[in-house]
Parts: sequence; C-alpha cells; structure tokens
Amino acid sequence: MLVIPAIDILNGKCVRLTQGNFSLAKKYSNNPVQMAKRFTQAGATRIHIVDLDGAKSGKPINFTLIKKTRQSTPAILEIGGGIRNLKTAKTYLDLGIDKIIIGTSVIKNLKLIKNLIDKYGSQRIIIGLDLNKDKIVINGWKKTSQQNYLSLAKKLKKIGTREIICTDISRDGMLSNPNLEPIKKLQALGFWVIISGGIANINTIKKLQTQKFYGAILGKALYENKINFKQAIKLTKTTNNLTKRIIPCLDVKNNQVVKGIKFKKLTFAGDPAELGKKYAEAGADELVFLDITATLEKRKTLCSMVQKIANNIFIPFTVGGGIKSVKDISAVLKAGADKIAINTAGVLNPKLIKQASKKFGSQCIVVAIDTKKVNNDYFVYINSGKTKTKLKVLDWVRQVEKLGAGEILLTAIDRDGTKSGFDNNLLRQICSTVNIPIIASGGAGKLADFKNAIIKGGADAVLAASIFHYNKKTINTLKKYLKKNNINVRI
Amino acid sequence: MIAIINYQAGNITSVANALNKLGVDYVITADKEIIRKADKIIFPGQGRAGQAIKELKKAGLIDLIKNTSVPFLGICLGLQILATSSDEDNTRCLGIIPGTVKKFSSELKIPQIGWNKVNLTKRSFLTQDIPDSTYFYFVHSYYLITENKYIIGKTNYDIEYPTIINKNNFYATQFHPEKSGDVGLKLLNNFCKLC
Repeated sequence: MLVIPAIDILNGKCVRLTQGNFSLAKKYSNNPVQMAKRFTQAGATRIHIVDLDGAKSGKPINFTLIKKTRQSTPAILEIGGGIRNLKTAKTYLDLGIDKIIIGTSVIKNLKLIKNLIDKYGSQRIIIGLDLNKDKIVINGWKKTSQQNYLSLAKKLKKIGTREIICTDISRDGMLSNPNLEPIKKLQALGFWVIISGGIANINTIKKLQTQKFYGAILGKALYENKINFKQAIKLTKTTNNLTKRIIPCLDVKNNQVVKGIKFKKLTFAGDPAELGKKYAEAGADELVFLDITATLEKRKTLCSMVQKIANNIFIPFTVGGGIKSVKDISAVLKAGADKIAINTAGVLNPKLIKQASKKFGSQCIVVAIDTKKVNNDYFVYINSGKTKTKLKVLDWVRQVEKLGAGEILLTAIDRDGTKSGFDNNLLRQICSTVNIPIIASGGAGKLADFKNAIIKGGADAVLAASIFHYNKKTINTLKKYLKKNNINVRI
Repeated sequence: MIAIINYQAGNITSVANALNKLGVDYVITADKEIIRKADKIIFPGQGRAGQAIKELKKAGLIDLIKNTSVPFLGICLGLQILATSSDEDNTRCLGIIPGTVKKFSSELKIPQIGWNKVNLTKRSFLTQDIPDSTYFYFVHSYYLITENKYIIGKTNYDIEYPTIINKNNFYATQFHPEKSGDVGLKLLNNFCKLC
C-alpha cells in the first residue's frame, strides 16, 4: 500500500485544517519545500500537496513554492487546489508535476475532466472526491452539493478516470478511524482509491494494509507525531528487487557500429558482434542493435548479422531498423532477437504495433520514439530523426501503450551524442503518463547523467552508446556508481 | 536428444543458441512422435496462454505432455501453462501443477521487464551451484500462485511469487535462463544433466 504524506499550504506555510475549516488551521512549518525534502529522505515515494489558498480562490496561489518543491524532490508529486481549467493544468503538468487533483470541477465542469484525461491520460489526472456523508463537497469544503458520490463515480468511470482520492471530511483531522464504506464501494467499481482523512495511528495503517487498499494519505497524525512516518513506510513498503537496466546501444551502418551527434556526423566505433559480446561480458543488462540506415535505404534488417550476434550473446537483445511488417518481425526473431524495435513504421502504420504485439506478445515489442521540442511541445520525428511529424510525443506514448507496446525507447534528438545529460523533464512526463517501462536514450555523458535519468526522470532503463564505445566509462564503473547512490542494479 | 517444442510463438532461437553453446543435441519440433521419443522436453515461453494451449491442442501434444515421464522444462509462459488455469485469455491450462495464473496488479510497471533476484527456498538439482539471490532476466505480466511444496525459488515484484517450480519430472522457471547470462546457462546445463 502507498502511504502518502500530505503537505497543505496556506499563506506559504505548512498547515493542517480540522474538518476543512480554514479558521481552525494550525501551522506546523514555515517551509513546505523543506517538509517535502524531509518526507523524501524518510522514504516517501509520493507526496500529496494541496494549495489551500488556491482551493479557496479557484486559481493557483502557491505556484512558486510548488515549483521549488518539484526541483527539490524526486518523489511523485500530486497537486491539488485551484486547478479549474486546462491552462492551469498544463502549467503544472509541463512543470513535471506527475499528477494533478481535480476536485471542485467534478461538480461544475465534468467536461474539463474529460478533456484533461483525453489530453494527458488517466494516470496524471486524479479525482478528489470530498464526501460529507454520501454527498460531494466542493470549493475547499465550503459548499456541499446535492450530488451523490456513487452516481458521480459511474460518470467518472465512463470518461476514463482511474485514480480517486476519497476524503471523508467528517473524519479529516479528527484522528478517528477512516470511513471505509465509500472506499470499498469505489474500489468495487474498479477505481484505484486512496483513502484520506482519519488515519490516526499505526494500527489503522496495519489494518488498511491487510485489507489491500491501494493507498492512504497521512496528514495530521504525522504532524502530531501520532504516526512515525518511517515506521509506516517500513510497514507498507512493497519489496521490489527489479533492477534498473544499463543498455549499450549498437547503431549499425553497413555492418559497422557507428556513432553520430544529433543523428549526424557518423564515426566508426567497431564490429557489432565483437562489441556486443564485449558488452555482454562486461555486465550489460541488455543490448540494443539499431540498423540506422535500414529505413532510409529501404533495406531489410540484416538477419545474418543478427544471427552472428545472437550466437554469442546470452542476454536480451533488441533489434530495430527498417522493420515494416509482421513478416519482418518474424524473420528477425527467428534470427535470434528477443525483442524488436519499431519506429518509423509504427508511426506510418500504427496497426503494425497492434498486430505485432498480438502475435508475438507485448514483451517483444519495443516502440522507439525520437523526439524534439518545437515551440513548447515535443514532437515525434521519423526516418532517423529527419522528418518531423504532427504527432505530439505525449499523445503518441499513450497511443502505443494502448496498441500493445511492451516498452518505449525514448530518444531526445537534441541530446543525442552531446553528452549533456538526458532530458529528465521529458522523461518524467512520459513516465507519469504511461505504465510500461521507459528506456531513456540520448545525452549520456557523465555518471551522474544516468543517476538523474533514473531518479529525476524516473527511467526504468538507460541506453547509451558513445560513453561505452570510446571507453570513457565501463559498465561496471557505472553500475558501482549507481549502487552507491542507492539505485538497484545487477552487479 | 532434447525436444524443444515449437508452438509458433516462443523465442525458440534463443533457447537453441543456448543449447548450442552448451554443446547439447536438440531438435526443434511439434511432431508428436519425435517428442515422444525425446529424453527431455523444453517448452520455451513467449506469447499468450490461450494461443499456446491452442497450438498444443492442434499438434495433439496435450496428453503427451501431461503423461510424459522424461524431464520437462517450461520457461516463462512454459511455467504458466503447467498450472490449472490462467487469467490470460481465461485459459484452462495443463493442470500439472495445481495453481492459478493471475495478472500483476499494482502501481509497479507491467510487464515486469528486467533482472530480478531469485531467492532459493528449497534444494534442487536444477539450481545446483547457483547461489541464492542470483539475478535472472524476467519479462512477464502474469504470475503463478501455487502451493509451497512445488516451489524451489521465489521473487519479489510487489508481491512474492514462485519463479522456479518443480513437481516430479516437471521443472519450470518464470525467468528466461537462456537470456540470463552465465548463471542462466548453468541452470540450463543442470537441466540437461538430469536423468
């Protein structure tokens, strides 16, 4: 179960209300940013922030503080309070806030919620249902509507809502027991429900944990030291020993591994089979082999080379470049590849992704996406980065997830080969948008770049070429460094 | 001779490459008679449960597998089809190992892709000379729930679930030994040496 510490901001300070009453606000800290840092250090992976001034006035008031918080913690941030139009939502989401919470608009503007989910996906839009008995409360709990929560929930389900934070305002800040009845009913409808309000002690958390609830928000009990946060984290933490993957990439042209800068100025870097074997022995977790000329010159991927590489490599092995049909995929898999990467052909013919994942399984289909920022939005590029499309990357990643892609290999063209670091804000946005693994590519130069892509960007795997080919850093050095920084790797 | 069952979807080449490396004779086939005469059977895994069972039925292999007395190794999907049933495509599986196969459901990413630890819970020939808490390579969205007595190794991905199982002559791993580097080859070699 997720335990999520809450930071409520009023006049720039960290406060707790009792039953949503602003006049009963009690101040606990002058510095919400510091508070977020402290929670992160104590093990929080997700933090709940409410701009109370924003909730009251209907527009963000503590935006600067929230921006600072974003820069200060890698935890998943969910923000609520005063988000009542697309523009405000976009400002927060572009900033790299993982999820926004919409409350008041569930009554006043359901269409906004639909638009937001259509635009950003259900993972980034949380619905905050504040309940007074079975009625919805809005405007910073100042107004009780006539809307029954269950009939509203059914409407929310229809427009694609997945996550709900359910607060029983009669229990909030009362340190009594949470009211589980609405939670259970919402769960039965298929929502991921986070309980908020009334979690008073560690025994309640234990009880919620055994009942397998999705998440719980902790407020006053933390600030009043009724619950030790570290203990709560320890109690609820799920063990996950899956490691982050380090993936050397072999860009191949005319049977040679090459490397360019921003997809141009290619230089020779070695023999594919030899380099592949070397990396596998050096501790690479996977290999990616991209025939970068295949699409341009309309060649089929060179199955014989795939075969040569696969004969000597006993770690997973992805092949991309020029794959246009299910038949191509069959041939490459038969030659020994474990996964195939689809790029241009998937954009031109999205059905291919669907057909391929159905036939070979999602685990087999990596969708490679090359992207570049143009006027504040990231667009998808095809033909080895040479052709801009009208597709926005945030739309495309959701589409490919729906089509059945098992992983996304994301390359920021402007970073490729520059050794200036991965585009972590972009990574963050993509990782919060879809639930399939993301492989970060483009820009690795220093050891810290890998750490940041994983911690700040949220990447599941990092792919690099130059840094390994030219013996700048070995895989082992990198893994040791990541391990020292508390990132789980296979050594 | 080891028979690798060809069911039109698995990552058969990878398994074959690994056996080549180990210098073991094998044949890739869906032919009932050849499989009946094999002294070991490998069911490599990829694809979907429904499709795999359908292909096995088509090849007339269901009863043969259920009744075989030679060492059998299921890999990935090959582990899942040994269960009683799978939620994937609502499939009735082979029913060799009592248990059900469910989809991961958590805030963690699905499929699980990558290297995860296997904690060995019981001694077995299959895991001889393989240290406890070794990393193996996984790619899957579904996991098995079964009784402890069939479990040799377990893994944590939000929940703890069986990743090496054994009942009589039937062995199976949820991970891909053929893609798990030297330690994976070691496990495959242990299987090849079983009699």
